[in-house]
Amino acid sequence: MKAAPFAYVRPATLDDAVAELVRSAGEGKVLAGGQSLVPILAMRLARPSTVVDIGALSELDFVRREGNELVVGALVRQRTLEGHPLAAEVPLLLLALPWIGHRELRSRGTVCGSIAHADPAAELPAVACCLGASLEIAGPAGRRTVAAAEFFHGAMATSVGAEDVLAAVRFPVAGSGEGFGFAEIARRHGDFALAGVATRFRAGDGEAVLTAFGVSDRPVTRDVTGLGDDEVADLARGLVDTAGDTHGSREYRQRLVAALAVRELARARRAAEGGSA
Amino acid sequence: MTSPPPLPRPVRAEAGEPLDVTMTVNGTEVSLSLPARVTLADALRDHLGLTGTHLGCEHGVCGMCTVLVNGSAARACLLFACQLDGADIVTVEGLGRPDDLHPLQEAFGAHHALQCGFCTPGFLLSSYDLLAHKPDVAEEDLPVELSGVLCRCTGYRNILSAVSEVAGAHRDGIPGPRNCGRHVLMGHTAAEPGAKSAPEPVGVREIELPQGDPTFTVEVTQELTASLEKTWAVLDDIDLVAACLPGAELTEHLGDEKYRGRARVSVGPIRLSFVGLAQVTERDAAAHRLRVIGQGEDAGGGRTQADILLVAEEAGAGTRLRATAQVYLTGRIAQFGRALAGDVSRRMFEQFAAAVEETAVSGVRTTARKPPGALALLAATLVAKAREWGRRLRRAEHNPPTHPKGTQR
Ligand SMILES: Cc1cc2nc3c(=O)[nH]c(=O)nc-3n(C[C@@H](O)[C@H](O)[C@H](O)COP(=O)(O)OP(=O)(O)OC[C@H]3O[C@@H](n4cnc5c(N)ncnc54)[C@H](O)[C@@H]3O)c2cc1C
Ligand code: FES
Ligand code: FES
Repeated sequence: MKAAPFAYVRPATLDDAVAELVRSAGEGKVLAGGQSLVPILAMRLARPSTVVDIGALSELDFVRREGNELVVGALVRQRTLEGHPLAAEVPLLLLALPWIGHRELRSRGTVCGSIAHADPAAELPAVACCLGASLEIAGPAGRRTVAAAEFFHGAMATSVGAEDVLAAVRFPVAGSGEGFGFAEIARRHGDFALAGVATRFRAGDGEAVLTAFGVSDRPVTRDVTGLGDDEVADLARGLVDTAGDTHGSREYRQRLVAALAVRELARARRAAEGGSA
Repeated sequence: MTSPPPLPRPVRAEAGEPLDVTMTVNGTEVSLSLPARVTLADALRDHLGLTGTHLGCEHGVCGMCTVLVNGSAARACLLFACQLDGADIVTVEGLGRPDDLHPLQEAFGAHHALQCGFCTPGFLLSSYDLLAHKPDVAEEDLPVELSGVLCRCTGYRNILSAVSEVAGAHRDGIPGPRNCGRHVLMGHTAAEPGAKSAPEPVGVREIELPQGDPTFTVEVTQELTASLEKTWAVLDDIDLVAACLPGAELTEHLGDEKYRGRARVSVGPIRLSFVGLAQVTERDAAAHRLRVIGQGEDAGGGRTQADILLVAEEAGAGTRLRATAQVYLTGRIAQFGRALAGDVSRRMFEQFAAAVEETAVSGVRTTARKPPGALALLAATLVAKAREWGRRLRRAEHNPPTHPKGTQR
């Protein structure tokens, strides 16, 4: 359980970090919080020639509001965001963050690292999809921004290439009359979800959005505006795109996600309509 | 909230090449030189001798290795030590001292929250973080809040009641760690597995005595037949002093009353080889006082520091030689137990005094003595112990237990 030797660089700027990844010709790996990467290295599931630690890129150490977006840089830890005064502007984040592993993991795990890692059962990719966040990627050809809906390509596959760094994520801040719901079922607290949902409801026009995670190779988002509970449950069941595994059959996941979808949409609606969540 | 921790410095290292890392561990700044793949857990255990941080799964699941990093609990097995340049680490060793336990430690003991104790350091630091950041945590939330650490002995109920009690007693904030100050910790680089040879310990350049209580104190008085003048003549000559010290050897005079040297000590299966520095900080010919501070590192990452005062005074025709030493140990030698280490030091002083006597009387330099033989030293210690027990037993016979306790001493 010890990582194989690797060259280690901790560059001072984002440009240098990209240059290091280019230089390692596809054999480099970005290290952010390490909460997913270090176990993978320890189990020698990955043997990168070079680990590019982005831990000194002070330019990515920020949480700020820009217009209608909350922008979170790649150095921001999950717990830092949890305790950040600006986080309340994106209530869904505050609902979702405590579900990630345990306090001890969130102390180090970054918001962007979780999104870049793109575990199908992870919470933050689902939040990004449900809110329609956008992802800022720095690569050899410069910066580009990708919408969450296009960002996740499959399990642990995203628009972030081998020579790219996910520099920041932009979450839309909640408008007035918006409410949110979030829940998941795992075998015990802190485990990856067997099934989970993130929901959003807008009081004015009744717009309702459901994102399910842990049931497919990436988060799946549907517009469920105007649907009744039974229709939502049916739709949610249909989102399950995994065979069963030792932790639960396909049917079990379908029941979980249907129940969660109905419950968390109702929560989002209550919150949007001014009641407490 | 305190100011955010500083970001680490930019660096580059080829695979296997050591990197310099400076961090604060339990209040002491340490500098290490390690390959990038060494985790914080391994750095603490193998390079700093802080084996209180346990390792279970080594991939983030069990929580055994939980320590505080910049005030928040984190998995030491999921961090490379090199990432922590400039960070502040607290391990279970920093939480409390044997004679001044942290309230959480007290409560774990009182509630039988530790069985084999393997998960205890992880639980202590995880619950410390919880209570430091959420002092108002509700009792019913504790199972979920503490679910990041697993106990194989399934001591959960008792662990929860211990944490709950401490939470209730400290709603306005949990007291800070009790054992963070300048300690003897050495940034020592153990051999990287597979490396060709262990790097030589660098050898300390400056002697810095730690603050805080010594690991143990030895006070010995020995009557010598040699006259005060002759005894002082030995003490006043650092080469003679070194020659009288069992296992020691002076290798270099650095000027300014500083000396470099080597010492070998073996006790039972333990064989330690120190390199280090000594410095005479007081030499008072009139009062026949000599004060030496010394510091040595051994190849296993252990460190010893000592502050030794030798005072010779007239006693009839001969001399009374009094030694007081405050000894600070870290690393694997520290595990050796205060009592036994103290006994060994006392034995060594007795051998030293005998050599001083021999040198003073004969006027000839007693040639380099053998390092205190493994068996000899331990045997002497054990014999002394046995004698003491014998004495206690005999005393107990004369003072049957019906007597009030105080009269036994
Ligand atoms: C026991 C355990 C339980 C966990 N439970 C959960 C859970 O319930 N939910 C959950 O979501 N996660 C969970 N995780 C993983 C989570 O904690 C991590 O926060 C997250 O997946 C990775 O974030 P990180 O910053 O630690 O990234 P790292 O581990 O440093 O990196 C992960 C991957 O993303 C890449 N990467 C990271 N940052 C960037 C970037 N800025 N640009 C480009 N690539 C990047 C890395 O190269 C690597 O491939 C768990 C982990 C453990 C060990
Ligand atoms: S050893 Fe670190 S979590 Fe298990
Ligand atoms: S006391 Fe034995 S593992 Fe918890």
